[in-house]
Amino acid sequence: MTTAHAEAANGTLPHEPEKATLEGRNKVLAFWLFLGGEAVLFGTLFATFLALRNQTNEGPTANELFHLPLVAAATFILLVSSLTSVFAIQAMHRNRPAVLRNWLLITVVLGLGFLGLEIYEFSEYIRHEEFGMTTSAFSSAFYTLVGFHGAHVAFGIVWIGILIAQLSRKGLNVITAPKIYVSAMYWHFIDVVWVFIFTVVYLLGKVG
Amino acid sequence: MTTDQQTPQGGVKHRYRHEGPQKHIVVFIFSIVLTLIAFAAVAAGGVNASFAVILLLVMAVLQVFVQMGYWMHLKDKGHMLPILFMIGGFFVAGTCIIMSLYWVWWD
Amino acid sequence: MAQAAPVLNHSKPLKHGHNVKRHTGLMDWITTVDHKKIAILYLWAGGLFFGIGGLEAILIRIQLIKPMNTFLNAQLFNELITMHGTTMIFLGVMPIIFALMNAVIPLQIGARDVAFPFLNALGFWTFLFGGLLLNLSWVMGGAPDAGWTAYAPLSTSTYSTTHGVDFYTIGLQIAGLGTLIGGINFLATIITMRAPGMSYMRMPMFAWTTFITSAIILFAFPAITVGLVLLTFDRILGANFFEVGAGGNPVLWQHIFWIFGHPEVYILILPAFGIISEIIPTFSRKRLFGYSSMVFATILIAFLGFMVWAHHMFTTGLGPVANALFSVSTMLIAVPTGIKIFNWLFTMWGGQVRFTTPNLFAAGFIPTFTMGGVTGVMLASAPADFQFHDTYFVVAHFHYVIVGGLVLGLFGGLHYWWPKMFGRMLSEKLGKWTFWTFILGFHMTFFVQHFLGLMGMQRRVFTYLPNQQFDLLNLISTIGAGLMGVGTIIFLTNVFLTSRKPVGALDDPWEDGRTLEWSIPSPPPEYNFKQTPLVRGIDALWKEKTAGNKGMTPAEPVGSIHMPSATALPFVMSVGIFIAGLGFMFSRDDFGNAFMSFIFNNYIVTAIGLLITFGSMVLRSVFDDHGWHIEPEELEEG
Repeated sequence: MTTAHAEAANGTLPHEPEKATLEGRNKVLAFWLFLGGEAVLFGTLFATFLALRNQTNEGPTANELFHLPLVAAATFILLVSSLTSVFAIQAMHRNRPAVLRNWLLITVVLGLGFLGLEIYEFSEYIRHEEFGMTTSAFSSAFYTLVGFHGAHVAFGIVWIGILIAQLSRKGLNVITAPKIYVSAMYWHFIDVVWVFIFTVVYLLGKVG
Repeated sequence: MTTDQQTPQGGVKHRYRHEGPQKHIVVFIFSIVLTLIAFAAVAAGGVNASFAVILLLVMAVLQVFVQMGYWMHLKDKGHMLPILFMIGGFFVAGTCIIMSLYWVWWD
Repeated sequence: MAQAAPVLNHSKPLKHGHNVKRHTGLMDWITTVDHKKIAILYLWAGGLFFGIGGLEAILIRIQLIKPMNTFLNAQLFNELITMHGTTMIFLGVMPIIFALMNAVIPLQIGARDVAFPFLNALGFWTFLFGGLLLNLSWVMGGAPDAGWTAYAPLSTSTYSTTHGVDFYTIGLQIAGLGTLIGGINFLATIITMRAPGMSYMRMPMFAWTTFITSAIILFAFPAITVGLVLLTFDRILGANFFEVGAGGNPVLWQHIFWIFGHPEVYILILPAFGIISEIIPTFSRKRLFGYSSMVFATILIAFLGFMVWAHHMFTTGLGPVANALFSVSTMLIAVPTGIKIFNWLFTMWGGQVRFTTPNLFAAGFIPTFTMGGVTGVMLASAPADFQFHDTYFVVAHFHYVIVGGLVLGLFGGLHYWWPKMFGRMLSEKLGKWTFWTFILGFHMTFFVQHFLGLMGMQRRVFTYLPNQQFDLLNLISTIGAGLMGVGTIIFLTNVFLTSRKPVGALDDPWEDGRTLEWSIPSPPPEYNFKQTPLVRGIDALWKEKTAGNKGMTPAEPVGSIHMPSATALPFVMSVGIFIAGLGFMFSRDDFGNAFMSFIFNNYIVTAIGLLITFGSMVLRSVFDDHGWHIEPEELEEG
């Protein structure tokens, strides 16, 4: 611990700065635990969606509703953002704060793009398809599952945004590094959840 | 921490070999291919429904597996507990999904 | 000199601890991040809610003392049974469990604090504000009345028109958040903060059960989080998850509730197993019999606990395959539980048993809990369950495991660790009175309820007709409940009288302490261990005692100790969530007042609450807490 702090004071960084201090290791570990809980959270939401996926109450069905090009675009954007956040962590491990910041910025921009597409999609459904929260059990389950994911993306954008600001002000050190590492884990997890969403909600919805 | 060597100029020469981006680009391309297969199978239509379900799920699970292994570093050493707790989470999530598929509606 | 500004250059720590701003009085409690003080907060708050839940129980029993009683009306009775169950489980016993975990776990594993002191405080305050929100319902238009399980469709807005169930969903959501935070904190603490030499298989049993309990919390609470969100959306946003008319399905609620709810039962009982496993070896002067089988049994119970939820739902018509599956998995749990029962008995066998108050509670626990377990196996049989379902037999069963198991365990644990928490021994004489009145009252209350159930008395009915042979048994049950109340009052008297005595408990007041918490002063100093101890075996202190050593061998020289700073942010964050919850709950109401309607109906109150919470999170992230140091010379003074 002391060594890591001393190195940080010298302007140098240990190899894996996120795990250099006990606080950092605790943070990374606890975030893994949290993601285990998140898996159950989304698992329960998926279960709800699967149970109610055919309960359309004479409203629009999944097959009528979904347009694959839009989903494909959103998927591509989020997948690329996961890659850029990998690059961010690689830059962090090489102690290149400027490169790190740029990759984080790109990740945030891609996240905003994804969120924009989702908002567009939802507003289309509500305005043109008469498919709102109260339409059917299927619609409630759809908006809750996909909306929970969207809320996670929004939270991640704000979070990484704040970390970019901190990075500029405090620099890269053994205190900021675990925060950035953990936010990257979060971002990957969001991507993983989306893989299941586009498969289970959209593609299987099209298959019927 | 002591494996870094102090150079006379005060800089640090790392003994670690940092991984390059190549590996992650390969994972990315692999993910894109899996995604494309899934979308193509649905977009093309005419695929047997029960076959499509299995194909799509296999594509999704493979992609998640690779991304969690490489991008979230679960394949690296020292990740025994994270793996254990992720398995726990997916196990309970899977239980919920079995519940929703078999025990919610009367047939 | 009071200095609040964070020290920017952390390579130069503050020279003296008292340079750091120290709060006193109420502010000290609001800003504390010390696990020992948080334990006391949990204890008082949990004790308060336990008292409220107990009063509700007494009122329920008074109503049922005779047939056709008019002491309470049906609506109030429904509110009381709902709030009794919800309060006792989520706001009474769980916080008291967390109190003991906070007080004991860092000491038992030889740590100076938990892994995340800030989150520890946050967990407490969110629990408290969730509990307050839930209980506000009594004065804000009526308490929830759909039972503690809140089954749809009874809990949907069609059949439950007051805000009662909204208080239930939002209050539990907030309190549940606190529990989840606490669970993650204890997992991380036990994984990373153990003293040198304390391998997993050298941890005291209470640390093991805390570890496993926290893991169950981690995997079970997100399910109820989702369940409560779905119910909230149905009630406030008009979603259709449980609305049959729009394609919803009420059975889905039951599944989600019990996928959480059954593991929750093990969240409650496993810590009690841990407490009993600490008390019995201490007062038998023997090491715990079958330690590794105890660990194995705990893990197995946790694992099986996730695979049995549908035994609460046999009568919903899952079909013979599912019913058979869940019957078998439920009966399987009796195996690891039986292992534990026998291990406790074999620990006492041939030991030099001393029946102190804690050991009386432990000894009373074993047969009482076993009876609850046996009726559990009876209920696990699906065909028989069709007869038992929703009768007083079920009420008797779960009170035997929760009160006869958990509450006896908690009383035992409180008497056992009280000197460590407060530095004062509770009176043994009053403690024994507590035990005998409580356990007698308990069996009087609930033993007869088995027969009431078998004779056909339904649970959750607010009264019953005479001449069904229910009268005498209900009278006995109510008298027993009063006796349990007397036992609790004796305990409170004991606490009050003890608090007037000077602090003077020895480090090892029971003289036969085996684990690390008994190697340090009572109550422990702020930093717990002046030097981190070196653990050389299971029952670390006992091992040193048998080797003829005075205390633990230190694993490090005396040095400067890093401490986390006190902060009010956890409190403020919880206030924010509280405001947001209230705002969301009333977002569809017409207040008959333009301003109030405007700020609630446009989600302005919700937004303000969330802003407070997330704003505090940003502050926490942006301003690093470098903590402060206690220097060696101050350690000598202390």
